[in-house]
Amino acid sequence: MADFTLNINQRSYNVHVSPDTPLLWVLRDAIGLKGTKFGCGKALCGACTVHLDGNAIRSCSLPVSAVKGKIVTIEGLSENGDHPLQEAWKEIDVPQCGYCQVGQIMSAAALLARKPQPSDEDIDTAMSGNICRCGTYPRIKKAIIMAAAKGGAK
Amino acid sequence: MSTIAKIRRRDFLKISGITGTGLILGFGISAHAKENITTHFEPNAFLKIGSDNSILIFAKNPEIGQGVKTSLPMIIAEELEVDWDKTEVVQALLDPRLGAQFAGGSTAVKMNWQTLRNAGATAKHMLIAAASTEWRLPENECYAENGTVKNKRNKKVLTYGQLAERASRLDVPQEVKLKDSKDFKIIGTAKKGVDNHKIVTGTAEFGIDARKEGMLVAVIEKCPVYGGKVTGYDDSEAMKVEGVRHVVKIDPLNPVDRIAGVAVVADNTWAAIKGRKVLKVNWEYGDGADENSESITARFREYVNKKGRIDLRNEGDVDAIFDNSAKVNEAIYEVPFLSHVPMEPMNYCADVREEECHLWGPTQVPGSVQRLAESITGIPRDKITVHMTRVGGGFGRRLMADYAADAITISHALKSPVQVVWSREDDIHHDYFRPAGMYKLKAALDERNKLVAWELKASTTSRYLFREADQSPHVTEVFPDGFPAGFVPNFRMEYTPVKTVVPTGAWRAPGHNATAFIDQSFIDEMAYVADKDPVDFRLEVLGEEDREMPYSDHGGPTYSTKRLKNVIRLAAEKSEWRSKKKGTYKGFAAHFMFGAYVAEVVSISMNAKNLPQIEEIWAVVDCGIVINRSGAEAQIEGGIIDGLGATIFGEVTIAGGMAAQSNFDTYRMIRMHDAPKINIHLVESNEAPEGLGEMSLPVISAAYTNAIFAATGKRIRKLPVQLSEISS
Repeated sequence: MADFTLNINQRSYNVHVSPDTPLLWVLRDAIGLKGTKFGCGKALCGACTVHLDGNAIRSCSLPVSAVKGKIVTIEGLSENGDHPLQEAWKEIDVPQCGYCQVGQIMSAAALLARKPQPSDEDIDTAMSGNICRCGTYPRIKKAIIMAAAKGGAK
Repeated sequence: MSTIAKIRRRDFLKISGITGTGLILGFGISAHAKENITTHFEPNAFLKIGSDNSILIFAKNPEIGQGVKTSLPMIIAEELEVDWDKTEVVQALLDPRLGAQFAGGSTAVKMNWQTLRNAGATAKHMLIAAASTEWRLPENECYAENGTVKNKRNKKVLTYGQLAERASRLDVPQEVKLKDSKDFKIIGTAKKGVDNHKIVTGTAEFGIDARKEGMLVAVIEKCPVYGGKVTGYDDSEAMKVEGVRHVVKIDPLNPVDRIAGVAVVADNTWAAIKGRKVLKVNWEYGDGADENSESITARFREYVNKKGRIDLRNEGDVDAIFDNSAKVNEAIYEVPFLSHVPMEPMNYCADVREEECHLWGPTQVPGSVQRLAESITGIPRDKITVHMTRVGGGFGRRLMADYAADAITISHALKSPVQVVWSREDDIHHDYFRPAGMYKLKAALDERNKLVAWELKASTTSRYLFREADQSPHVTEVFPDGFPAGFVPNFRMEYTPVKTVVPTGAWRAPGHNATAFIDQSFIDEMAYVADKDPVDFRLEVLGEEDREMPYSDHGGPTYSTKRLKNVIRLAAEKSEWRSKKKGTYKGFAAHFMFGAYVAEVVSISMNAKNLPQIEEIWAVVDCGIVINRSGAEAQIEGGIIDGLGATIFGEVTIAGGMAAQSNFDTYRMIRMHDAPKINIHLVESNEAPEGLGEMSLPVISAAYTNAIFAATGKRIRKLPVQLSEISS
């Protein structure tokens, strides 16, 4: 066990955990930020996606000891849950079971921050690491396009 | 359907008191309570109207992504005559007053339609009656509008909140008038998911998000070989992991709920996972270790090539036609085991105390969880509270409550709240797979190219055999009344189940996810043998006359050829089936299941590598009255994509009595770049509503592979589609 200071959603958190603990379980179990989801544990499905210095990363496969930088989770994506992607997701009525959607939104947010007007191919590539078994992909794509049109790089 | 029984207010209070929901305290005390207490009008367990004008609607069934947390309350709100945006939907507990609460068979809308309409209409009627007393006007001169009651004589308006207390004193009427469908304001519109905001902000509570005071987390090592058992274990290393509290051996419960294994229980999830990595368990694998995909397939092959064990249907003289017909076609189709892989891995949280028990987690069958808890703990059911969280996908996997039994067993043993969390590897290894099967088809045409004989010999692993439920009316994985049965004068269907240690269960559109592929592929084959257009050939077999076909299975007792032909014709029209565009090829399939009619068309082109590329898909669905247009279209679209993924990638193979796949690297899923454009058309209808969670899925396999045949002349008879066979 060791002490770590993490910058998450512009707040500083001190945690006392085993250094090999994946960031995912630090967020969910040690800090109580449960919006980030466990899906596969091997960076294969994207359910656990968070931002590390603005890049979309899979928190299930990143040991806390390797975390160097600022983390943003879904809880910190926007102040009032009104990021253009969150708004578009609601407007297009994307979620079915809803479990993967936080990871989807975090991947999309990193994409729009990097590329405010993504092409179809950009979207396909950026989102290819996120699985949705409900098959909401067409609505996800529509929502990303809608958010981009409304200035989704917020 | 059931009418709401006449219950006097006094009895109602008593009944409510017994169930202990504690929601109706306002009734009795409001008359002499001076302080500002909200009075609640709760004429039934489905809704609650507060004197503060709050309108609460309870969502009775588990929400697994099929949209019932939105669509079922919409039905209540419609009859209640309230503004949808001013209602609040709350997930109900498992509560006998709400009737059956489960997610399975796409049944929620059709089973609850009448009950929920009655629930809303009853409340509305009582509120009108309360206003009529207040105003001393006849009831028929009062009417409800937007959460208020108005009258035809003057401009007075009373809100539901103002009427709540008075209404709560009235007798609950036995029968109430329901709205005419032409007056629907909510039903048939597109409403967004009631939890959307919570989902996109990460605050929606899924089972895995349950956190209870003093909760421990358990992960479980189960025998990798199906049917094996624990002979011993060494937990010395596991107990050294910081945070690990207990290592517990779990004994078998029954052959179906396979809970046996060794659990590592810790303060947090990661400690439990780490402890498990160094746990040593000795297994006795048993006979299961000899099973593999090849040995199972060999048995299928043996059975489809001889007389089947179960005669399902036999009409005319199939053999005589085959002997004497010049145009006989025969083919063998195969489908693999499929894993459910809902995105939320199996997990469950149990807090078993001395005399009561609280349960939280993702399940399609909260009632089964309660029964399991009763049998494991001995605590009577009325002391077992089942809290329903959102469910991160079900697809049939969570019709089994084995993982809930894990949690209940461990919590019971440790006398502490315990959350069991499965890894993705556990999820795939210990799934109850879609049965694998082989289907030998044979059919003949007469001299005018009419379909005159059809035979199916099927052999599959059986979910019924697996759970030893042979008494069920549905004992096979095929449908003796399904198309083209009843349209072909000489027809035979035989079935042989294969017993295996490999667990099998219901997987989205059970049975149909295989039979629609084989029937709709082989009918396509016969259309080509007959040299007829595949759409025309289907319509010809169905016949010009409209018929109600007997259908002794879920979705029956009959199905309508008129409605089936209608979706076929509409799909042909919408997809411009008959217009040929150079370089694109179309495939067609249509199917009736669970009460709904679906036709789909897939248009493909061949890319530079000579592989099929989907250009567009059309789906026409007749599910009767549509409740939530947005939800309905989402189900259809999602089902098609899910089905397409299974068709192209889905396969679990068995080696040495274990699943050879373990995570999304080896069990591939469809991803965004493979998801095609889908056009959906819902048939306008006044027929009773059907569910939609499963119906669009089965049809897509054949629509896609039929398109591949149209493009390449190669008939795909084995799933998943082997792309190398197409490009070669």
